Amino acid sequence: MKKYYVAIALAALATPMVTLNAQGGGRGAGRGGAQVANVPAPTSPVTGNAAAGKALYSTYGCYACHGYNGETGARAFVGRWGNLSTEQNFLTFLRGRANVAPLAPSTSMPSFSDSALSDKQAKDIYAYIRTFKSSAPELKDIPTLNAIVEAAKQDKK
Amino acid sequence: MAKSQKTSVGRRGFLRNAAAGAAAGAAALVTPPLVEAQGQGQGRGTGTAPAPTGVPAPTQAQIDRETGNVRPPSTVRTITRPGSDLMVQTIRDLGIEYVAANPGSSFEGLQESFINYGNPPNKMPEFITALHEESAVTMAHGYAKAEGKPMLALLHGTIGIQHGAMSVYQAYYDRVPVLMIAGNDPDFIAAHTAHDMAGMVRSYTKWDAEPKTIDEALVAIQRAYNEAITPPMGPTLVVLGSEIQKDNAPNTKIPAYKPPVFVTIDATRAREIAKGLLEAQNPRIAVGRLRTPEGVQRSVELAELVGASTSTAATGGPMSFPQRHHLCGPGADTTYDYTLGLETAGAQASITGPALAKTAATRDTVNIGFGGTVPGAGGRGGGGGRAGRGGAAAAPPIEADAEASLPLIIEEVKRQMTADQKTRIQARIAKHTSANHEARVTAITQAVESKRAGWNGTPISTARLYAELWPLIMNEDWCLSSPSNFSGGHHVQLWDHNKPYSYLGGQGAGGMGYGAPASVGAALAAKARNRIVINVQTDGDLNYSPGVLWTAVHHKLPMLTVMHNNRAWHQEYMFVEYMAGVRGRGDDRAHIGSTLRDPYLDYAKMAAGYGMAGEGPITDPSKLSAALKRGVAAAKRGEPYLIDVITQPR
Ligand SMILES: Cc1ncc(C[n+]2csc(CCOP(=O)(O)OP(=O)(O)O)c2C)c(N)n1
Ligand SMILES: [Mg+2]
Repeated sequence: MKKYYVAIALAALATPMVTLNAQGGGRGAGRGGAQVANVPAPTSPVTGNAAAGKALYSTYGCYACHGYNGETGARAFVGRWGNLSTEQNFLTFLRGRANVAPLAPSTSMPSFSDSALSDKQAKDIYAYIRTFKSSAPELKDIPTLNAIVEAAKQDKK
Repeated sequence: MAKSQKTSVGRRGFLRNAAAGAAAGAAALVTPPLVEAQGQGQGRGTGTAPAPTGVPAPTQAQIDRETGNVRPPSTVRTITRPGSDLMVQTIRDLGIEYVAANPGSSFEGLQESFINYGNPPNKMPEFITALHEESAVTMAHGYAKAEGKPMLALLHGTIGIQHGAMSVYQAYYDRVPVLMIAGNDPDFIAAHTAHDMAGMVRSYTKWDAEPKTIDEALVAIQRAYNEAITPPMGPTLVVLGSEIQKDNAPNTKIPAYKPPVFVTIDATRAREIAKGLLEAQNPRIAVGRLRTPEGVQRSVELAELVGASTSTAATGGPMSFPQRHHLCGPGADTTYDYTLGLETAGAQASITGPALAKTAATRDTVNIGFGGTVPGAGGRGGGGGRAGRGGAAAAPPIEADAEASLPLIIEEVKRQMTADQKTRIQARIAKHTSANHEARVTAITQAVESKRAGWNGTPISTARLYAELWPLIMNEDWCLSSPSNFSGGHHVQLWDHNKPYSYLGGQGAGGMGYGAPASVGAALAAKARNRIVINVQTDGDLNYSPGVLWTAVHHKLPMLTVMHNNRAWHQEYMFVEYMAGVRGRGDDRAHIGSTLRDPYLDYAKMAAGYGMAGEGPITDPSKLSAALKRGVAAAKRGEPYLIDVITQPR
């Protein structure tokens, strides 16, 4: 635990002393490596209440790592979906984390036992998540980013 | 009592009188200014009526002195040339541009000299008004990172040093030269004096002294400057007694300044390294963090001479190789047969300055063990010995200053280079140039593809914030001043870090309350140099000492602050969330103590309160670019500007 904490703390705070490659590096959606994912949104049934889920998405701090719209942060899921493909998969994922590996998490996502988050609440959150859509336009439709690429192309010394 | 002593009540007399009462100076100090309104000679002001607490009330003379109604007697001695004038001249001769301070009577002599002595007065250094000592020291930290040389922070005895302590610690960890002077007035307020004033920061300063005479003081100031800029660089402190600041010194001469001698590699090493670089088919130079812009220039010179592709640390901090130089990048061939590391690991040679632990052993850190530092264990910045990129083992570090060693290598390269090698090098440079350009275009093309994630979302994505900024500043001379890791660090992929000060990097020791004052320091460096400072400012960090906003306005600094306002100490919020999750208690209470809500802070209003122009909160991403444009324009006019942007948390 302690080690784990220290590891994330260091990753967050340490002055980068490593000599970065000129082209930079890093990982995750925010760090430039990952591309915008395009897996179509699931069409499986949804039973929860999205409006109630919206409040829970905020109070339970899901946005902390997934962004307010599931598109940014350490673990963006819009366009990836993965464990979110069905309501049941989502529930299994949450509970599995809480009950199976609470002390040795494979990622930094908190565990949610049913005493902390009821099935109903989880389903509401799922319903809300399923309303998310990518807000990313096609690249050709973002002049700012195209201008940046063009400037880099011009810049030939 | 007061009457009879009136003519001789200087500060000492004042204290002696006050000391008769239990609360001594403290009681006098807290006397509210209402005394002024009461007028002279009334009631409690005479010293006869007891104060409500039972402590004898201060005398009228004491009150007059403390509330500024009378000047301290100037007839006690004839001062033709106060010691502090000489101190200021010594500082001026060292080329110190700025002195940042929050006022304190322990250095009133010095302050008076800073603002009045010389022609013109208050120039070299110029007095920068700080609202907190932590800000003053971190301003000096940020300035030094941008400029590669120290400025001065002036601290009030005991309490000012204590306020500045975290900043001193960060500069120490960051190995950044910061020159500090603290006043020590043993005759005024007992709590503001100490037998060993520097003791409380000795564990994380590189050198300190408390000279007893004016002559010694001038030597100590020069020495403190030299110690600060000699690797391992760090903060140094000279404690100057109030008496030697005020004493007359008509015949004292400022000692001739001798610059420090840096440890360089020896001639044999220089020959070997030059030979290695010249005989290699594909040499590489890995550049870490050098000391000054001159060092950066020398590294460019060497790379161009030998046609080596280079890696840079410029996206992680200051003073490294220009990122878009045609030799910077992977080069045409990534199998390097000779790698020289400059303040970083290199497979064949690593020149790295001495580690912190070296000095730590001779200071007080052994028992405290800051950062786990133990003598001989090697501190941060040793650099060498670690594996280089790509898994190649690094050469054992040569402990020398890379920057000071560069001219020796360059000389050797020039001496050894054959006409044949020259031709080969030119051909290699051409290949590297196009390969690096291609690599750049590929990388940026991939980067923008990922930066469009959440582009039109609300709150605003941090990627969009950096992306929208870049076209507005790419043709300006800019400096990104705050640590960017909490705001996504998107400049790493999107922006070009071509100047020694392009990005100033992390806090040093991970202490919050760094970004805002460091940005003001960077803006001091930028001011006379036609440069603008871009401060992507996290909200938690700003709230430690927001008074720096006023300093930026007061001194007309070219600084644009763009808030990464996630309304939280978000890093800590995530930690608490995780902890609650692991314990199975849910995350609905994780916001307690880790978020900035109820109420939300209004940073545009906060800025306005400090006199800074600004706008926001902006939540609509389509409104961002226009606001940034206004902000950049203001900064270019030397008018600091703040834009509050409500952002995605990460
Ligand atoms: C002086 C100090 N106090 C507390 C901390 C612990 N700490 C680490 S990150 C952080 C939150 C920073 O908040 P902010 O600057 O708004 O950045 P955010 O994580 O929200 O992006 C805190 C309080 C610290 N590093 N330094
Ligand atoms: Mg924050």
